[in-house]
Amino acid sequence: MSAVDQSSRYQHPTKAAWGVKLLGWINILFGLAILGLGIWLILLGGSWYYGLAGLGLLATGIMLNYYMMAAVWLYLVVWLGTVGWAWWEVGADWWAQVPRLVAPTIILILVLLCIPALARHRTTY
Amino acid sequence: MKRFCTSAAVLLAASLPLHAQQADPAPGSDISAPAATINDDSSTTPEASTTPEDSTDTTRDAATGTTDAATDTTDETQTDEEPTDGSDSTANAADASDTGRTPHPVMEVGADWPYWGGDAQATRYSPLDQITPENVGSLEQVFTFHTGDLPEGTAEGKYSPEVTPLKLGEDLIMCSAMNILISIDAATGEENWRFVPGVPNEAIPYGASCRGVSIWRNPDAVEGDACATRVIQGTLDAKLVAVDAATGAPCEEFGENGTVDLWQDIGERVPGWYAVTAPPALVRGIVVTGAQVKDGQAEDAPSGVIRGYDAVTGELAWAWDLAAPEENRDGPPEGEVYTRGTPNMWTTATADEELGYVYLPMGNSSVDYYGSNRSEAENEYATSLVALDATTGEEVWHFQTVRHDVWDYDLGSQATLLDYDGTPAILLPSKQGDIYILNRETGEPMTPVGELTDLPKGEVEPEYISDAQPVSEWHTLRKDPLEERDMWGFTPIDQLWCRIQFRMANYDGFFTPPSTERPWIQYPGYNGGSDWGSVAVDTERGIIVANYNDVPNYNRLVPREEVTSKPINEMEAGESGGENAEGAADPQAGAPYGINVNAGWRNDVTGVPCTRPPYGGIRAIDLATGETLWDRPLGTARRNGPFGIPSFLPFDIGTPNNGGSVVTAGGLVFIAAATDNLFRAIDIETGETLWSTVLPAGGQANPITYEADGRQYVMVTAMGHHFMETPVGDEVMAWALPRE
Repeated sequence: MSAVDQSSRYQHPTKAAWGVKLLGWINILFGLAILGLGIWLILLGGSWYYGLAGLGLLATGIMLNYYMMAAVWLYLVVWLGTVGWAWWEVGADWWAQVPRLVAPTIILILVLLCIPALARHRTTY
Repeated sequence: MKRFCTSAAVLLAASLPLHAQQADPAPGSDISAPAATINDDSSTTPEASTTPEDSTDTTRDAATGTTDAATDTTDETQTDEEPTDGSDSTANAADASDTGRTPHPVMEVGADWPYWGGDAQATRYSPLDQITPENVGSLEQVFTFHTGDLPEGTAEGKYSPEVTPLKLGEDLIMCSAMNILISIDAATGEENWRFVPGVPNEAIPYGASCRGVSIWRNPDAVEGDACATRVIQGTLDAKLVAVDAATGAPCEEFGENGTVDLWQDIGERVPGWYAVTAPPALVRGIVVTGAQVKDGQAEDAPSGVIRGYDAVTGELAWAWDLAAPEENRDGPPEGEVYTRGTPNMWTTATADEELGYVYLPMGNSSVDYYGSNRSEAENEYATSLVALDATTGEEVWHFQTVRHDVWDYDLGSQATLLDYDGTPAILLPSKQGDIYILNRETGEPMTPVGELTDLPKGEVEPEYISDAQPVSEWHTLRKDPLEERDMWGFTPIDQLWCRIQFRMANYDGFFTPPSTERPWIQYPGYNGGSDWGSVAVDTERGIIVANYNDVPNYNRLVPREEVTSKPINEMEAGESGGENAEGAADPQAGAPYGINVNAGWRNDVTGVPCTRPPYGGIRAIDLATGETLWDRPLGTARRNGPFGIPSFLPFDIGTPNNGGSVVTAGGLVFIAAATDNLFRAIDIETGETLWSTVLPAGGQANPITYEADGRQYVMVTAMGHHFMETPVGDEVMAWALPRE
């Protein structure tokens, strides 16, 4: 919670900082959707991946909103777990990997791009 | 089924591993394994039909003589003098018996493409070899002919022409979507004549299709007589039309001024309910035709009667009403109609001049997805290949591929005649992907037929659903059953949504019975496996080339009180919406349920398919062993992409496809069919694409090859397809090698 107070003292959030916020909210929205649908799928007897990945994405989004560097580490875990799961499910069938890997990898790149902004925030504390 | 979402250009297509799905291959060569529902009634099997006669030689000479006369400048590239399976050389008059009808000479494929299936055997194999794997890369377009037949008014969104021309002598002869008959010069594409039968838009059933026409030479006519060689077609408004092949003038002696009304004795005339979309078969001077009865409308639908007409006069020679074969052989009694609601034949039959038979790939009754109200006769013949004596209309044998079919697995492919292990045989592909080879005199399977047992019976009509079904143990195009991990999409979210749909549906693999509380998954869907494009058989190399679809349908029986659609006979004229995929909200009046089909099972939010690619492929099969030689996805991702935006990706994703292939002595497979609008040449030995060109519209039609002025041409029509969602066109296009 202290992060909120500290960031509010920050007078002029940079564009990069707004970008982090935006990505955070995108991750929260998608995380909620995937978590909700993922729980439904679990209740139907299906894969647990989506519930877990949705939770990870939601948490990543929340942490990005607090400019926490841990968001990067958490998402890296989610992404690595995704890659391992995707390979286990369909292996080298690249068309089948499109829905599994493309969007999570784009998110990964965007999260990684947040690192400088997150680092700057940390130094201003 | 076009909007395949693809992304990330780095992703490469990976062809699926092949699994012959049905586990236990038959031990050894036990070809008399459980033989589905062959008609065991020995009284209907043909009596020994061999009285080798001296007529053989004269028949053969007549055949080659007439063919050569028409094409004498071009026979130097005809590589092979032998008939492909010897059927004409063994022609005999044994079966003509009481009707006095004898085998007619068959026309030779090569310079000509005289039958819809290429040769009289419907192999789609051409002996031409000027175009080879080495030189195919230099093919150039020679001409494009525009038929001028494009949808207007209420026909918008209903065009699926599927047109394949015939080539005879110096002419190409074809129909258009709305049955305009056209003759053009085979070398230049210049129009010779056209005949406009004036088919109204209301007559379009599910789609405006005319797969082709048939040519018949009157052996009793003298060259130069009017209609000595005639073009015969069936029309969407259910007429048989015969015109002179040389002039396009109606054959006055045929019916009424060249037209026979097929609505005769069918019942209430409802345009679009009863329509012919396939070329008729001609056997010993009898024109044999069925008709498409629009699917899913009502139990009380037009009859699926098959009728034979005299090719000269257009008089009814016989009728085969499967529910009243004896009673209605010469037509129903005054004031009555042919048995209503019986299974129909909408696709192309195969003629057998030698035996005097015609082989009918039958579909289902109009109510496809509910069967408890069907009669015993319907159950006996639906989804069967039926052999009739084409001179009398009497059944010889039948072979059923699905028992109590509630999946719309109509037989859609034209069967191919061949010589198998020295026996006259017939090769039958099915929508389930099974390929059977039958003895064509008896209908007995010559390749192993297995049986799936303990199949689920469901809760809607468990007494009706069969818990055992025949399958081919020789070869099937069918893939493994779906699993949750086969669900697809563009992002994790739409993939997740499809996984939820998968888990919410009933699915117990192949032949999961219909359900109404929850949707059910049908895989393969009604588009095949093999559909009307049929397979091609290279009889010289011994290779079957089969393109196929690999898509499920997501269906639900809709309780009567929830059904909002009306059957076609209760609609106001022009009210019917034609853009729906077949089975999307059909009323099935008379049954307790309507039907809702999500064809190709696409995500209801994004339109993206719910299952992973490939959605279609092409495969070469060893005719001797039934083993796969090569198999690959057919169709690139170039026209498909997220939100309907073309991706221009050249990768083979494997798209749905409709339309068959041509195989040539030169070693090439020519095929369009896929939804990428490409026409391509594939090396028959390796499966590699050696040449391709972009068509201006969808190429959902069977190509042909022929020779004119010493050049080998390949041709396909680019006219689009509403169900396959390819752009509509009116082009007839020809390619050849550059002149030296």
